[in-house]
Amino acid sequence: MSNSGTSLKTYALTRLALVVPMVLILLTLVFLLMRVAPGDPISAALGGHVPASVINQIRHQVGFDKPLYVQYGDYLWDIVRGNFGTTITDRRPVSSIIVENGGATLELTIAAGLVAITIGVVVGLLAGRYRDTWVDVGGRMFGIVAYAMPVFFLGFLAQLFFGVYLGWLPVSGQASPITQAFLPVHTHILFIDAIWARNWAALWDITRHLILPAMTLGIVIGGIFIRLVRVNVIRSLKDDYVEAARARGIGERSVVYHHAFRNALVPVVTVVGLQMALLLGGAILTEETFNWPGIGQTLVKYLENRDYVGVQGIIVVFALIVVFFSLVIDFVNAFIDPRIRY
Amino acid sequence: MKGKWRFLVASAGLAAAALVAVTAATARTSASSAIIVDGTTDTVTNIDPAGNYDFGTKAVDFMIFERLLDSGPGKSLAPHPSLATKCASVGSLKTWSCTLRKGVKFSNGDAFTSADVKFSFDRSIKIADPSGISSLFANLKSVTTDGDYSVIFHLKNPEATWPNILTTPAAQIVDHNVYPADKLQPSTSEQVGTGPYVLSTYTPGQQAVLKPNPSYWGPKPANGGVIINYYTKSSTMKLALEKGEIDMAFETFTPTEIVSLQKEKGIKVHQGRAASIRYFVMDTNRAPTNNIAVRKAIAYLMPRQTIASRVYHGQVVPLYSMVAAGLPGHIDAFASMYGTNPSKAKAAAVLRAAGVKTPVTGQVWYTPSHYGDASADEYAEIQRALNGSGLFKVSLKTAEWAQYVRTLGTTKGLFQMGWFPDYVDAENYLLPFYPKGQFLENGYTSTKMNALAVKEQGAATVKARLAVVKQMQVLAAKDVPIVPVWQGNMIVVSRSNVQGIDKTLDPTFTMRFNLLSKS
Repeated sequence: MSNSGTSLKTYALTRLALVVPMVLILLTLVFLLMRVAPGDPISAALGGHVPASVINQIRHQVGFDKPLYVQYGDYLWDIVRGNFGTTITDRRPVSSIIVENGGATLELTIAAGLVAITIGVVVGLLAGRYRDTWVDVGGRMFGIVAYAMPVFFLGFLAQLFFGVYLGWLPVSGQASPITQAFLPVHTHILFIDAIWARNWAALWDITRHLILPAMTLGIVIGGIFIRLVRVNVIRSLKDDYVEAARARGIGERSVVYHHAFRNALVPVVTVVGLQMALLLGGAILTEETFNWPGIGQTLVKYLENRDYVGVQGIIVVFALIVVFFSLVIDFVNAFIDPRIRY
Repeated sequence: MKGKWRFLVASAGLAAAALVAVTAATARTSASSAIIVDGTTDTVTNIDPAGNYDFGTKAVDFMIFERLLDSGPGKSLAPHPSLATKCASVGSLKTWSCTLRKGVKFSNGDAFTSADVKFSFDRSIKIADPSGISSLFANLKSVTTDGDYSVIFHLKNPEATWPNILTTPAAQIVDHNVYPADKLQPSTSEQVGTGPYVLSTYTPGQQAVLKPNPSYWGPKPANGGVIINYYTKSSTMKLALEKGEIDMAFETFTPTEIVSLQKEKGIKVHQGRAASIRYFVMDTNRAPTNNIAVRKAIAYLMPRQTIASRVYHGQVVPLYSMVAAGLPGHIDAFASMYGTNPSKAKAAAVLRAAGVKTPVTGQVWYTPSHYGDASADEYAEIQRALNGSGLFKVSLKTAEWAQYVRTLGTTKGLFQMGWFPDYVDAENYLLPFYPKGQFLENGYTSTKMNALAVKEQGAATVKARLAVVKQMQVLAAKDVPIVPVWQGNMIVVSRSNVQGIDKTLDPTFTMRFNLLSKS
């Protein structure tokens, strides 16, 4: 017992230590990618007939006139201090973009994640339980179509059908303009801010706005979980302990839901965490489609405006978020499964 | 039994909460019915007047800040009093004296005085932000004050249109107690002006919320406030307008979206003549357009009517001068010289007379999104007209704006450009393009045009100045380094219950939200 406890600690420390080179490689890749792209980033961002003296001034302000190795050192040191730069086009500190727009992305990704897990688990479980029946075929088809469908296309269909033809739900935004204008902001997560303010009308308005984008992104990601859960349920149902349970006279329903299913979910936990990257990537397109004011939409804006500082800063934050979540998942897995050790 | 009882209580609680929510929502709707919600795909750069020169920011700025003089609304385009009751030249056109309006307060209660005017101009020049337009003050030598209510502008050279400069976004007045003298005020910080609205909140990329300024010296706004909602895609904005999530949308729908909206019940498309133009530039140093006969042939073949009807569905009008139609001094110089319809015969004749071998080959450049998504169709029509005549064989090339604008004078012989005026005067459609110092870098120089430009700026009377403006247009058509193509409309789409939009449609392209109301 004491050995496995020590091993978990060693694993955790080793895993934490491995984050450092991982993050360093990621940051270096982002730094190099932004600089090998052709064109001058300052004039590309400012455009127009900006005098050379002004371009040089801005270049000096952002440090682009320094040697590359000095820029790299400054870049790493700034990130350690939480300074991800200030955008060129609209002078916003990237850290404030993360705070002000990150709440919207967090709200969307959590809601979409819940939808994805719910759809994935329910449909995958049913498909695995009723293997080779119409339930299984339907579930698998749904999973494939959902995963293959471009998220912006699904979003557009959802807007047209539920928003325009049926008129049930709003088609864009995180809340109605009036709600957003008058709701006091504390956390930048409107859902929580509405609860904080005990403004139930606003909460309902925000929930209605969240439904379509969360369902859209959740269905696409859920397609992955359906297949994964199904495969694991089928595998679990063939295991010896399941046969033993059946042999002891335990009902099939109990065998499936209380024995096989729980064990089938263990590998799903790993995948859920790793799908965070997919969720963030899908969130960018979802935010564009639904005019959702998250970091993804902001990233697209800076890409279109050739704002290298904005793009670089946001990509770095995205990369760090993915690293963080993969670390958390690794810890959870190591905690659940004692075989996972270095 | 217990479980069922709990279930009933929970259901009743939920129902009550829903009832409260609906009631609260209804109450909110009543209170907020006086607020106009506008959608736009424009973006804001910096709200500080010293750091912006774009229509997206202007929509916010013009409601918060004011200028000494104003242009519009409606037909009153000549500069007229705003924060200044009078502005006149003193002695020569190099010195301009303005008498300031008394009793005006900023939204924070500070009194408006000459110190604020001097401060605003000085800081704009000092900061010289690349996103701003302090270059409009290139001719300004200094600003002096004479007491609290008098300001004197000392120019380097005579400039008859200095009052027009005072109507531009560059000349907006800020509170010298609030704004830093040497850097921009961040957009999310307090913005203090004398305008009809106060910026209540600004969330970048999301919303700008304007509420009526209780200290405003002029007529109170016709509404209870304005919310400007920012969209990244016009298709999403269209859906929002159709569903009533927004009351109106100003900038920018595609031509096909506008055609679709024109057919919708409950929605009205308002159009007014704007002052934005599109034109076709030709490099006078580079073959084939270094030959004036080739330039004239292109002028004879320009398919303006087709572009206006087929590409823009009547939302733009053919333009026959670089000076926007409707402005004092405008003449249809190109119509007089080259006709209103394309003429293959005349184009062929001018090329034959010059001994130019046909088809003339070349590359026509345009930028696919900066001037709207319809640019591709527009330039396809131009290519079709040129190649279809048999006299030209041109191919189309594109580049995104950031790359496109950097290489105007180096890689492009025939290219698309557009122009939104700094101020609504014929001068601003001529000086940036023809005399020495013009920004197009297309190699055009003309001693005669340079002389006319100097004469125009120093003209003692409006009549004399407009006479020179006409001469400049005739010369521009004769030398034809640029072919004007079309003039845009100011288009606003709204729900039928929004009133007052037509009052604010004019060539200044200013959305005066304070004139709008909602029933």
